[in-house]
Amino acid sequence: MTVSALTRPGQRDRISEKLGEIDWRLAALLAFVAGVGGMMLYSIAGGHWAPWASAQLTRFFLLFGVMIVLSLIDLKVWYSLSYPIYIVALVLLVATAAVGQTHLGGKRWLGVGHFTIQPSEIMKIGLVMALGRFYHSLTAKQARWSWKLLIPAAMIGAPVLLVAKQPDLGTAIMLAVTGGVMMFMAGLTWKVLVAGFVTVSAAAVPVYMFLLKGFQKSRIDVFLHPDRDPSGKGYHVIQAAIAAGSGGLLGKGYMLGSQSQLNYLPEKQTDFIFATVAEEFGFVGCFILLLAYGMIVAAGLRIASTSHSHFGRMAAAGVTAAFGFYVLINGAMVIGLAPVVGVPMPLMSYGGTVMVTVMVGMGLVQAVRVHRYSELPRGRGFLF
Amino acid sequence: MNEPAIFFEDVNERQGGFLRRTFLLGGFTALGMTALVTRLGYLQLVENNRYKQLSQHNQFNYRIVQPPRGVIKDRNGVVLAGNRASFRVLVVRDETKDLDGTLNMVAELLPATALKRRQLIAEINESPRFVPVAVATDLNWDDFARVNLHATDLPGVVADMNESRFYPFSGAFAHVIGYVAKISDDDVKKIKATHNGDVDPMLLSPGFRIGKQGIEKAFDKELRGVPGGQKVEVDARGKVVGEDRAGDKPPTPGSDIVLTLDADVQNKALEVFGDDSGAAVMIDCRNGDILCLLSAPSFDANAFVSGVPGPAYKAWSGYDHKPLLDKALNGLFPAGSTFKTMVSLAMLEMGMSEHTTHTCNQAWQFGNHVFHCDKAHGTLDLHRAIVTSCDIYFFQTAVAVGPERITAMARRFGINEVFPEIHIAQSKGTLPDPEWKQRVYHQPWYAGETPSLGIGQGALQVNPLQLAVMCSRIANGNVALRPRLVKSVGGQELPRGDEAPPLNLSPQYLQIVRAAMAGVTSEPGGTATGKLDLSLGDIKCAGKTGTAQSHSGKTAHGAQGAWNLRDHAWFIAFAPEDKPIYAMAVLVEHGGFGADASAPKVREIMRAALIKDPEIKARLGGVIPPDTKAGKPTPPAEPDAPVEDSTPGQTAALTTPTKAGAA
Repeated sequence: MTVSALTRPGQRDRISEKLGEIDWRLAALLAFVAGVGGMMLYSIAGGHWAPWASAQLTRFFLLFGVMIVLSLIDLKVWYSLSYPIYIVALVLLVATAAVGQTHLGGKRWLGVGHFTIQPSEIMKIGLVMALGRFYHSLTAKQARWSWKLLIPAAMIGAPVLLVAKQPDLGTAIMLAVTGGVMMFMAGLTWKVLVAGFVTVSAAAVPVYMFLLKGFQKSRIDVFLHPDRDPSGKGYHVIQAAIAAGSGGLLGKGYMLGSQSQLNYLPEKQTDFIFATVAEEFGFVGCFILLLAYGMIVAAGLRIASTSHSHFGRMAAAGVTAAFGFYVLINGAMVIGLAPVVGVPMPLMSYGGTVMVTVMVGMGLVQAVRVHRYSELPRGRGFLF
Repeated sequence: MNEPAIFFEDVNERQGGFLRRTFLLGGFTALGMTALVTRLGYLQLVENNRYKQLSQHNQFNYRIVQPPRGVIKDRNGVVLAGNRASFRVLVVRDETKDLDGTLNMVAELLPATALKRRQLIAEINESPRFVPVAVATDLNWDDFARVNLHATDLPGVVADMNESRFYPFSGAFAHVIGYVAKISDDDVKKIKATHNGDVDPMLLSPGFRIGKQGIEKAFDKELRGVPGGQKVEVDARGKVVGEDRAGDKPPTPGSDIVLTLDADVQNKALEVFGDDSGAAVMIDCRNGDILCLLSAPSFDANAFVSGVPGPAYKAWSGYDHKPLLDKALNGLFPAGSTFKTMVSLAMLEMGMSEHTTHTCNQAWQFGNHVFHCDKAHGTLDLHRAIVTSCDIYFFQTAVAVGPERITAMARRFGINEVFPEIHIAQSKGTLPDPEWKQRVYHQPWYAGETPSLGIGQGALQVNPLQLAVMCSRIANGNVALRPRLVKSVGGQELPRGDEAPPLNLSPQYLQIVRAAMAGVTSEPGGTATGKLDLSLGDIKCAGKTGTAQSHSGKTAHGAQGAWNLRDHAWFIAFAPEDKPIYAMAVLVEHGGFGADASAPKVREIMRAALIKDPEIKARLGGVIPPDTKAGKPTPPAEPDAPVEDSTPGQTAALTTPTKAGAA
């Protein structure tokens, strides 16, 4: 594929040409990780497709198609939809706080007819797009340090507070980190970064003491001292460590992990699925899996760096960074490096909502790749 | 991919800054990944062994496999204590939706569980939620089937099978065999104290039963066996999901114990006692084997296995016939006139002639006290004095011989002895003489106590086993026969009772006493003449009656007055009188005059033993004469005896000696 093929007018919109521009290596890596996830879900169910593996893999194939379709959508469209999506997500979050459904102790879902939607997931994409669009219109100097940065700060702060209130600490943290990383990528000055880091660290103690809810607090206590309450709140952490540690170099073998198969491992099909990989495939299996995740992040960042538009760069980097943080935080949580927060392992943990978010995000990344030579005009109207 | 990543014509400040930050972000992600891999390496490679053990500890459990308890049999292999399948119903709290409702439904199926409801709820609440708790045990098949049928409608209710102890002859052996019951905290403490704190973990498993009385207690360790282990895979809720056969350690079954008892004789003894209270002990006087060791009335040992209900226990412990007391070993009574045999032997060994005579005028003054006899026997020698049981003859003989010689003789015959060969606790009793009196009461022996000792009264206290041993030594004549109750443990035979030191007594003296005992049952004027006809041709039974005063108040006498004030009736006997095989002692508590209350019992028990003995069968020519003197008149064509005789095994046993004799 040559550069001229896509720069030539009239050729750009041909679908076959666009399909060829998709990063198929990235797509293959995503399929590999999702395939491993399906395999683990099959194992955890004691060698059955039901109830998790078949649903999860079906979902992935459908969403893989969605990702391909999304990647064909012109970056201009993405760009123009940025603020509308963000605003819709924000309105939905406010609505959820007002009339949302309570489930498992959190007000996170919004019923729409037969469907329940989780506005915080829409916000994950919306925030990335909106910040991308905002920074697209900003000069490097403004992005470094200016009063205009109050706008992205507010754009990040509003949904983070709304989600934290639900309470969904994991998603709130992810939104904050994603937004923060995007400000960092846009060129925020180091002075502010250091100051922000110091402030957050200093705020951690009062936040822990006054703002966190009981179960959120206890998760952090358990992270710090899992052995104090081995059959209670420390149970997750200890059993996950036993599962991972007993795997050894090569693991106990597929479908032979006693911790996972005998239900010692809690939430093994969702947040703790990485522990099952560690138990059944050992250090080597984990290394290969993390390598695959690392290659996905590398591919995403590479796409960001090749985009001609600043919106494309920011959006691809934001999605990729969020994806990478999911992997790091979930992995760290499973092996006891971070407190237990409800952060799933992307594409592996069972669950539809997160997979939709990840694959839509990857559709955006692929769209940036396909339309990397698009030059978007700066500072146009609200929609176009 | 040879296209350049950065187009220089597009480079501006914003893009350059972005690219630098991208490298930083990539580097940061790589750092995070490295941290994960390092931590994983630490967990999976460095700490692997520790976590492997923790995982296995999670996954595998050793379940104690209880060995079957050893079986206790009689001399002919009849099971006296065995194991039977027992069914029970368990409730798993975790699987019940509503404990109260479940218990209501169980109570409907098994009404007995309703009684213990409060206790059951406490027990269930104390146990971990996923541990099954037994709500009903020792169910019969019908109950078990009923619960099983409804099990699908009763979530959390499980019916299963285990082994429980069973005593087929519930009453006859209750005192000898004892029983097993739930181990108590006190039992565990005692075992800990005697084994340096080491307790077999099997004993600590809930509901484990140990021997609490009798042989079950004495040989508990041997009967118990060694527990095995079963390696099972359990899930997080403790549910067994698999087994690892290779990791199993099979249990070692408990040792079987063979007793010298004969179930037929013992059962006969219980039968003839009926409602009477007392004891019967029979010893093979050739080798010391105990064929019968009965205390009556008895109780149902099976009840103790599952726990005796309060009312039943109260009834047993409150009954004045004391069914829970083993009277054969722990009942102490004056020996009465049976003790005259000892006085006689002491007199003979001292050198006094059997022809020494005394005259009985029904009263005899000694010092300032007048001793009485039940009638005026006139002038008699030793033989007639024993036959008629003349008290005045033995008052005077005892005074002439002196208490020390009498008690020394009694000791040689097992009086006041505790026999370790029995393995069950016994009461020693009292054998009074001057040394004893000084030691216990710090008082001198009064001359007036000697005549009482001469007729087995006063402070003298013996148990039925001691009198049976005494009688067996008189009948044996050669050795100080040891009683043997346990024939073998786990196939290992225990020493025979005739491997004992010699009696060191002139056979002539013993023959004099034995002849007099024969006279007791046959001569005119004998205290049991006509009362001990065995109806076995020329096979006769010799014996000695005894009437032991139970109460000094004398408001009742002999067989008159209130039951608990009447005298105790003794009888010691051996048969055949010419060549003794079995010796026995029978006590009927408050039975009144010896011969009337106890002689019929002796006759029945003795006959039951004799007709089974090959030596007797040979002597009778293989034909057991019909029992013409049985308590109930029996028709000549009574099926029992002929049928028994015509069984092939017994016919063979009977004909073999005859053939050998002919050859």
